[in-house]
Amino acid sequence: MLWYKAWLETRWRFVFLVGSIVFIWLAPLWLPSFGFRLPQGVPASRIWMGVHLGSVLLYIVAANFLAGSGVNSQTTYAATSGFHGSMLFTLSLPVSRRRLLLVRAGLGALQTSVLVAVMAGYTLLQRPGGASALQAIEYIARAIACTMAVYALSVLMACVLDEMWQFYAACFCWIGFYLLQSRFAAISWISPLRGMSLISYPLAAPMPWAPILASLALAGVFLWASVVVLHRKEY
Amino acid sequence: MNDIIIAADGLSKSYDGKPALRSLRLEVPRGSICGFLGRNGAGKTTTLKLLLGMLRRDAGSIRLFGEAVESEASSIAARRRLGFVSEDKELYPFMNVDQTIRFTRPFFPGWRRDLEEKYLDLFQLPRKKAVPKLSKGMRTQLMLVLAMARGAELLMMDEPTGGLDPAMTEDVLRILADLAASDGTTIFFSSHQLAEVEQICDRVCIIDQGQVVIDGVLDDLKYDYRRILLVFEGTPPRELAGLPGIDHLRQRGRTASLLAHGDMDGLVERARELGPTSVEVRPVTLKELFLDHVRGE
Repeated sequence: MLWYKAWLETRWRFVFLVGSIVFIWLAPLWLPSFGFRLPQGVPASRIWMGVHLGSVLLYIVAANFLAGSGVNSQTTYAATSGFHGSMLFTLSLPVSRRRLLLVRAGLGALQTSVLVAVMAGYTLLQRPGGASALQAIEYIARAIACTMAVYALSVLMACVLDEMWQFYAACFCWIGFYLLQSRFAAISWISPLRGMSLISYPLAAPMPWAPILASLALAGVFLWASVVVLHRKEY
Repeated sequence: MNDIIIAADGLSKSYDGKPALRSLRLEVPRGSICGFLGRNGAGKTTTLKLLLGMLRRDAGSIRLFGEAVESEASSIAARRRLGFVSEDKELYPFMNVDQTIRFTRPFFPGWRRDLEEKYLDLFQLPRKKAVPKLSKGMRTQLMLVLAMARGAELLMMDEPTGGLDPAMTEDVLRILADLAASDGTTIFFSSHQLAEVEQICDRVCIIDQGQVVIDGVLDDLKYDYRRILLVFEGTPPRELAGLPGIDHLRQRGRTASLLAHGDMDGLVERARELGPTSVEVRPVTLKELFLDHVRGE
């Protein structure tokens, strides 16, 4: 039943993200009515690159947004100072904190994966020249794997920060990571941000195992740290 | 079957170096209704949270249902047998009454649908009503349904009647008393309301500054403790403070008011030797016991 609670807790957040993505996808239909038009002669590949980078950014936003609700405070969407009282009810149930966290984080990871798969699939459909089924599966799999590191860091943030700050803190962490990867080749080599990009690793390139494995390892470490934090937390 | 449902010994807890509980000792027998009294910040909620495993103790031991609570696993096993009603009575705002019940039910193998129906009918709680639309009284009732339908052997409640109107308070107290009488459920609740504690409790535990100052059967306490009023011709003598069995001594002008327990005849005899012009021995109320122990002088 913890899955049921997690779903009820996050469904509107998930629906909001789906709505936002559809709204962005439909931009070519509604932007012209506001006077926005692409300049003549922009190559299709350039436009697609913009769409793709936008999608990558949305992977990160979706992961951070879906990680927040309820991981720490068992609240709904409202940012809270301190904890919502229903948390005491949750903690009085005969269930371990580890299970509480893993079920909630598991559902969020599933929702994130669905959104990333849909966004990645859409990006590939828009790609000039398209993509083979195998290429599409490979890319969606690596996009999900790399996004899991982003998601798990956000879960960890949600365990130590109030929801109001968790989203921003996680985003700043990844901005910091992006700056580091542009300075240090070793970090760049294992970067989840590069792993989810079709510009860093084009479809035709071999599967980038280093960022995929590093992302999964990071996700594991962040989740483990979250369990430890939650286990030690006093309410 | 163990007859002590809650046993805490040497329980200590500090927040940022400031002690909240200091070597607290507590015993609640099976089937009793125990009122846990104290001023704001005395340590009542901290004690409840320690018993439920929401806080980690600095020192001491806890036994629930006769089993030591040393790990998360043992705490979970204990929580399977108890119900908790928090002070703010908050439940999930994204659920309705029915969803809250359906969510809670699977955690408790001994869930009793007959009791669920009985109390939902009794409280007239609409199953489809969203939790945020419930009044505080209705949320209290829903929490009681959740606690009672699980077949809890122990109900722990933090200010269960806080924020309720007098009629609702009366209903809740009656149900708790019925529950203890019919099912033998042990009830342990914190409260500020001395009148309601006196109304339904057979035991009281008064806590002050993180320590238990009074613990026992309410009737025994009322029998053991007496108020002795002494009037002297001048200032009451200092020797009064040294008399045996005196818990608290208050002086105002020529009058001394003693809260005492134990050998009352012997104490009165010793007091008379100090030459008062009048001696009066009165029974005490729970309010007097509480105020004298938590205010001190």
